[in-house]
Amino acid sequence: MQIACIAVVFGGWQIGSTTGALDPLILPPLSAIAVQLGAVLRAGSAWAAAGVTLAELALAFALAAAAGLLAGFAISRSAFVVRVFDPLIAGLYAVPTILLFPLYLLFFGIGPPSKIALGTTMAFFPIVLSTIAGFSQVKRVHIAAAQSMGASAPQLFWHVLVPDAFPVVIAGLRMGLVLGFLAILGGETITSNAGLGHEIVTMAESLEPAKMFAYIVVAVALASVLNALTSYVEMRGRRHESA
Amino acid sequence: MQGISIRGVSQAFGAAGDARRVVALEDATLDIPAGELVCLIGPSGCGKSSLLDIIAGLAKPVAGSVTIDGEPVRGPLPKRVGFVFQENALFPWLSVYDNIVAGLTFQGVPKDERRGRADEALAAVGLEAFRNHYPRQLSGGMKQRAQLARALSLQTEILLMDEPFAALDEQTRLVLGEDLSVQLAKTRKTIVFVTHSLVEAVFLADRIAVFTARPGRIKTILTVDEPHPRAPGFMTSAKLTGLRNALYELLHDEVRRAMETGAGV
Amino acid sequence: MKRHPYAVRLGVIALLLIVWEVLARRFGNPLFVAPPSATLAATAALLNDPAVVQALLAALGEIAVAFAIAVAAGVLIALPLGLSSFWRGAMLPLILGLYAIPQVTVLPLFVRIFGLGPPTKIAFGVTHGIFVVILTVVAAVRTVDPILLRAAASLGATRRQVIFDIVLPSLVPSLFTGMRLAMSGVLLGVLLAELYVSTTGIGFFTQAFTNAFAPAKLFGLILLLAAIAIALNEAMRVAERRLGRWRENTA
Repeated sequence: MQIACIAVVFGGWQIGSTTGALDPLILPPLSAIAVQLGAVLRAGSAWAAAGVTLAELALAFALAAAAGLLAGFAISRSAFVVRVFDPLIAGLYAVPTILLFPLYLLFFGIGPPSKIALGTTMAFFPIVLSTIAGFSQVKRVHIAAAQSMGASAPQLFWHVLVPDAFPVVIAGLRMGLVLGFLAILGGETITSNAGLGHEIVTMAESLEPAKMFAYIVVAVALASVLNALTSYVEMRGRRHESA
Repeated sequence: MQGISIRGVSQAFGAAGDARRVVALEDATLDIPAGELVCLIGPSGCGKSSLLDIIAGLAKPVAGSVTIDGEPVRGPLPKRVGFVFQENALFPWLSVYDNIVAGLTFQGVPKDERRGRADEALAAVGLEAFRNHYPRQLSGGMKQRAQLARALSLQTEILLMDEPFAALDEQTRLVLGEDLSVQLAKTRKTIVFVTHSLVEAVFLADRIAVFTARPGRIKTILTVDEPHPRAPGFMTSAKLTGLRNALYELLHDEVRRAMETGAGV
Repeated sequence: MKRHPYAVRLGVIALLLIVWEVLARRFGNPLFVAPPSATLAATAALLNDPAVVQALLAALGEIAVAFAIAVAAGVLIALPLGLSSFWRGAMLPLILGLYAIPQVTVLPLFVRIFGLGPPTKIAFGVTHGIFVVILTVVAAVRTVDPILLRAAASLGATRRQVIFDIVLPSLVPSLFTGMRLAMSGVLLGVLLAELYVSTTGIGFFTQAFTNAFAPAKLFGLILLLAAIAIALNEAMRVAERRLGRWRENTA
């Protein structure tokens, strides 16, 4: 049934294009899109743009993860500190991060750094919140058992705290990566000089709809791969969740 | 080896002067010679688990002291004291075998000895076939046996057990109790065992310390004069029934008192 | 010793504001950073600027319209899907697939279709909010307490009565949850579209202030938008708590 639906949508699209019912400047024929997709892939421009976007994401995620993990762990060490900061951070998280983008543009210019800053900010929140949650809920009895057996502080951290907190922290890391990617794409779309979002906008403004759709396809493919990979890692991380 | 010496130990929770301060344990004094199995029994909230934590060095008392072999306890003594918890303290992300190895690693056992000790411990509790299983794949009784194996592998002279069989059904409890008795006979460890079960206490203990309701004081000490390993027949003997009844008499009023004051019951 | 997290939190915020003020004044290049004092003054000035206020109100209007459409359309689409496993099997994967597409990639397309005015922003807001509503309501319809359904059947209720008297009322709590989530989505969609279109509205001012290197005004504008976002989210949360909970009056 699903296949039938997809077939109807794509079939209708193709028919609409050939009969001229669909404005080719807005919704070009599927065939044209396919042609352009092949073209940009072969020409390397798709890879270049994707490369910029991914590089921005990698840097943003690295920064957000480092800051989020450190801050989250530090805060989790005291229940009082958690009570002070957790609502504060959660409250800030409720404000759409994209609002900060104009400030970053002012400060960093229209190139990749402003996108990286945006991505870092976006990814930071789920990471720090989940790190706080993960390390706060380590079972006391596990810590007591390890201590009674003579675990040193580093051993306690690596062999008890980290494994116990891991599933929650990994879920936060995953959200951070996905949300960071979306934020970066958004920033590239609004104002940029490189990256997938930028290419899509350029193609739209230069009235090359087929190429625009080609880049959209690349972006969607990238998003799917990212999602699948992170989903897999998170599942592996949850393997040992006790019933 | 001189055993455990508990002198005037008291434990309380909450700040001094706070109206909600709870005195769990008051002035507990008890000498436990090496090789003896002592049961601590009493109504909920009477401080038995607190006392165990203090002996293990996991908590500091507000008064009194505990010495083990003449040396005062100031913190965990991983080479002398093993602890089996009531809640499942196995690490869920490790297999049974890896759990035991983790304990050995914490204690500082050299790498080449760890495998041998782990194998021995698994054999002692009969879990060799499950060495690669994860805790969530095990039944309650097996999880506690695994925890016991982890504690045994540490080869400590003292074993503290905080209601280790509380979460298990009665039949499993009795069987594991028999196994424990056999272990004790073999290794001559000093064991302090907290329980709520009257029968379990009489079946396992050389001596039973009966606690009052909160604030917990040691009311009486019963002696069970019966060699280890306890024969299964002991369970149905008149001697056991008599001791159990005596225990009931001693505890009944304390439990009632604990319920009335709402102390943890 | 009891300490009050609320007081400490206020203290932390105050400390941060002071540090920001001091650092911005001493080391900050006024072309790029503005201290809180300047930002506050700029915010007041913005509120007195009719053009800015108009842009803010326009955005608010777009949010309201987009929200209404997203919720109404979402419920209308979700009801038949929730009630019929056939249509659910057919359409849900499609819907989930659409939901998985990073919507910001089709923002330029929306502008091509709807132009540079409010319709684009409303449409983009709708697409950001509607999926959440659909998924929430479908899930809610499917998890109507089976006991209620059995009771209705045993009382001889018609399909129509079942839908109107049992399914719909039991959806109310989930509907409010969906509305709260939809508001976040609509907010994001409208803001994204506004920021993208730099010829009018919010986007015009953000670009103007950026090009003029006026960080105080820029940050002031952001604060006003953030305040709107927080207010709307809070309103939804309160609504969900107050109206979305059934009083326990059924057996």
